[in-house]
Amino acid sequence: MKKSLSIKNPASSFLSKQNNFIFYSDYRYANLPEKDEKLLRDILTRINEAATQKWGAEYAEARAQSLFKTMLTLKEGRVEAAKQGIEKGVALRVLVNGAWGFASVGSLNPEILTNAVSEACKMAKAASPRMNVPIKLAKTRVVEDRVKVVSKKNPEEISIEDKIKTTSAINQNTLSYDKRVKSCTVDYLDLTGKSFFANSEGTFIELDKLYVWSRITASALQNGVFAFSREEIGSTNGYEVFDTETPEKVGERLAKRAIQQLEAKTPKGGNCTVVLGPNVVGVFVHEAFGHLAEADLALSGGILANNLGKKIASDVVTFYDDGTVNGAFGSFKYDDEGVQTQKTLLIKDGVVAGLLHNRETAQKFNAEPTGNARAEDFRVEPIIRMRNTYMAPRDHTFEELIENVRAGYYFKSFRGGQANIDGTFQVGIQEAYEIVNGEVGEPVRGASISGNTLETLFKVDAVGKDFELWPGRCGKGQTAFICDGGPHIRVNEVTVGGSA
Amino acid sequence: MVAVLKKEEMLSLAEKAVKAAQQKGAEDAEAYVYEGQATNIGIERGQITKNSRIIDRGLGIRVAVKRAIGFAYTNTVEKQTAINDIIDKALKAAGASNPDWDWRGLPEKKAYATTENTFDQGILELGSEDLVNVASIMLDSASADKCVFPIEGGCGAAYVANALANSNGLAGFDRGTIIECSLATVAKKKNSVTPVCFEFNANRNYKVDPEWVGKEAARLAVSALDTKQIETKNMKLILTQFALQELLYFTLVNAVKADNVQRNQSPFKGKIGAEVASENVTFYDDGLVRGGLRTSAFDGEGVPHQKTLVVEKGVLRSFLYDHYAAKKDGVESTGNASRAGYLSTPGIEPSNFRLMPGTTSADELMSEVDEGLLVYYLQGAHSSNPVSGEFSVVATPAWKIKKGEIAHCSRGVMLAGNIFEVLKNVSVVANNERQVGQLISPWILVENVRVIGK
Repeated sequence: MKKSLSIKNPASSFLSKQNNFIFYSDYRYANLPEKDEKLLRDILTRINEAATQKWGAEYAEARAQSLFKTMLTLKEGRVEAAKQGIEKGVALRVLVNGAWGFASVGSLNPEILTNAVSEACKMAKAASPRMNVPIKLAKTRVVEDRVKVVSKKNPEEISIEDKIKTTSAINQNTLSYDKRVKSCTVDYLDLTGKSFFANSEGTFIELDKLYVWSRITASALQNGVFAFSREEIGSTNGYEVFDTETPEKVGERLAKRAIQQLEAKTPKGGNCTVVLGPNVVGVFVHEAFGHLAEADLALSGGILANNLGKKIASDVVTFYDDGTVNGAFGSFKYDDEGVQTQKTLLIKDGVVAGLLHNRETAQKFNAEPTGNARAEDFRVEPIIRMRNTYMAPRDHTFEELIENVRAGYYFKSFRGGQANIDGTFQVGIQEAYEIVNGEVGEPVRGASISGNTLETLFKVDAVGKDFELWPGRCGKGQTAFICDGGPHIRVNEVTVGGSA
Repeated sequence: MVAVLKKEEMLSLAEKAVKAAQQKGAEDAEAYVYEGQATNIGIERGQITKNSRIIDRGLGIRVAVKRAIGFAYTNTVEKQTAINDIIDKALKAAGASNPDWDWRGLPEKKAYATTENTFDQGILELGSEDLVNVASIMLDSASADKCVFPIEGGCGAAYVANALANSNGLAGFDRGTIIECSLATVAKKKNSVTPVCFEFNANRNYKVDPEWVGKEAARLAVSALDTKQIETKNMKLILTQFALQELLYFTLVNAVKADNVQRNQSPFKGKIGAEVASENVTFYDDGLVRGGLRTSAFDGEGVPHQKTLVVEKGVLRSFLYDHYAAKKDGVESTGNASRAGYLSTPGIEPSNFRLMPGTTSADELMSEVDEGLLVYYLQGAHSSNPVSGEFSVVATPAWKIKKGEIAHCSRGVMLAGNIFEVLKNVSVVANNERQVGQLISPWILVENVRVIGK
């Protein structure tokens, strides 16, 4: 899990999602027959009209969702519970006197929705008197589209028995790899359904949703030493993700990593040269740059607002945030403001080329919306989120990256990361090795790296020619499904947190 | 807020669902009905920008058929057809699943204690204007200093109610309110911006102090403007509630959950009665604390909340149990089954996890530090090793203490170690108790932690 700002809101976590230990966002829309879709479109259109014509809204949007989830949790082969869920609801958002009003209701009933939108308009008015800079939205294309997802193996068509079989096999492969592996938890989720988006400008989008996700954790124990290893799988293509991420492959990867840590040493704290694998590069790009490129954070005083067009990284650094990667966990066609997704260039050869926008921030920066407004579900409003964020590959082989490192570390897989608005980033590492005289050496455990973006990006001195993209989840109050990645890279100075 | 569901309505929904599930073949059945209504005022970049209302209702049903467990939920509680549909789905899921030979059914009915200070009609009656007013006071008091920029925050009021029924005849209803206001700030000077600083107030009664929140959030940010680097060495740390909550949640809290112990992923396995922390450390889990943010009459399975001694003067006394894990160990549940609303089956979580306060004031605590760090916020605690307790995090920002006084602020300082070692090195526990998340705690003084400067 990646986290953005270190802002905690203990009270609201009590209110809405009491725990962060189970799944978050998942949806799927139950199939509505054709005529109901027409009916729904009529209802949403009328609600937006009521907001703008009767209650004084400058802008109104309605997002109706119908979602279906299947979830499993397996612990050492035991199925804790096989779970299914159905959710239906509508998010209504209006702009009145330059302030937002938002209402979420778990109903598609026209009367309830009409009341809710009138309430939302009143609430926006209540919030607006102290507005110094009224909110305005950048113009965007009016869209009418219907996005169908065609899946080779649609999770809806796979039986629960099959899903239990696959997750049990992951469990089995992890546990049987080595006697020292003591526990294995597999969480599985699939989400299918539909989202309907209509706004007062005439946009109407019907969008299929499909996500398949799994998180696997394992622990190992030997002579009082504990090790822990985690892995995530995620796809917007379908259940076929398990044909490439097979239970055998995943189980071995997870178990091996846990076992290795049992005999690993703790790293030495301080500054040194590191080589980062694609999995760590991904989270590094996400935490050290991606969050700061979110235009809402840039406007809040983040370090990028004054650095557009300026060089903040070495020449070999090029970053993208890309919603168009086929099947990737962070891909989608339209965001939750009805803006089409795109491949957004963030840094080109070390120079800041762009930010991630919703319609509100695009207006402030006089830029185009980039399709980054995402809402976890109908209970919450869209905010600026990343999609698939990665570093572009260059020309080095792995051998070339490590050959001149006399003493350093090779960080291969991350455990978690977090960013701060002043550019401080932290990435915790779950798989690491020493580099000694140009060669990968002994495993290392419990390391993390930290630095400041504006310093560290200049220290990236070589970029590999390989490329991997890894699925994950990002928390910024809401949870978003994302990917990040890149090639192997070398960073010639970063602070390593170690207890030795 | 729109009219909330009545106690009788919620209980009847739950009880009817249990009966219907039994008729359709469930051997054990449990229904959980949830209602949450929240109004929030949002602050972004120095001004109030939004006002939202969320109404969320739902029903989750858990069934056992031949010891295989199925669960399903819906947020359409008004329609009997929707409820029947998820009962069928739960039964079908159980049918597809494998038997769990450790399954020992659902909890029996027990009497509930009365909770105090958990519901305030005044919060239920608050309108948007009242909350805008609270948010404005907070914003104004934070903005007194021109270099402070409130980036995000707000004020929210909420009502939450649960009803739970099971096939053993257990039936419970509980409701509560909460109001909170919070503000995240940065301070800016020339080209320098501080890390995010944060304060909040939360209460089950209509009693918040937005002026204090605004002032504190501003004061912390301003004091983080001028920084000096510090050297790498071992030193004393004062951990505030924010830092402690983050560190403990991902480490100690996992170690005392009975399911983790049973599954060999807790270093506390076999350590009941053993010394696991300094003698200054006593932890209770107490779901009945007066006015506690997580106080309610019963847990996610309808087991009464209670006060459980977890660590007594450094000695491990008990783990936290739900019904399933308790039956496996042949003991009684400690009332620690927790749910993420109606969306999930219960899992073990602390209720209010309380580190018992000492007698030392925060000022006295500071004066005991010749050289050390005052740590408020941590970055990356969630990347700690949840099994071994090893952590490697950034303190953003931290304040250097010299001879009992704040000397200067420092950024990007890393802290590394093992939480179980940290707990053994707690030399003083202060008396300035407050609740952050599940943790109720004062500040603590810890000896000899590895600090990595630049």
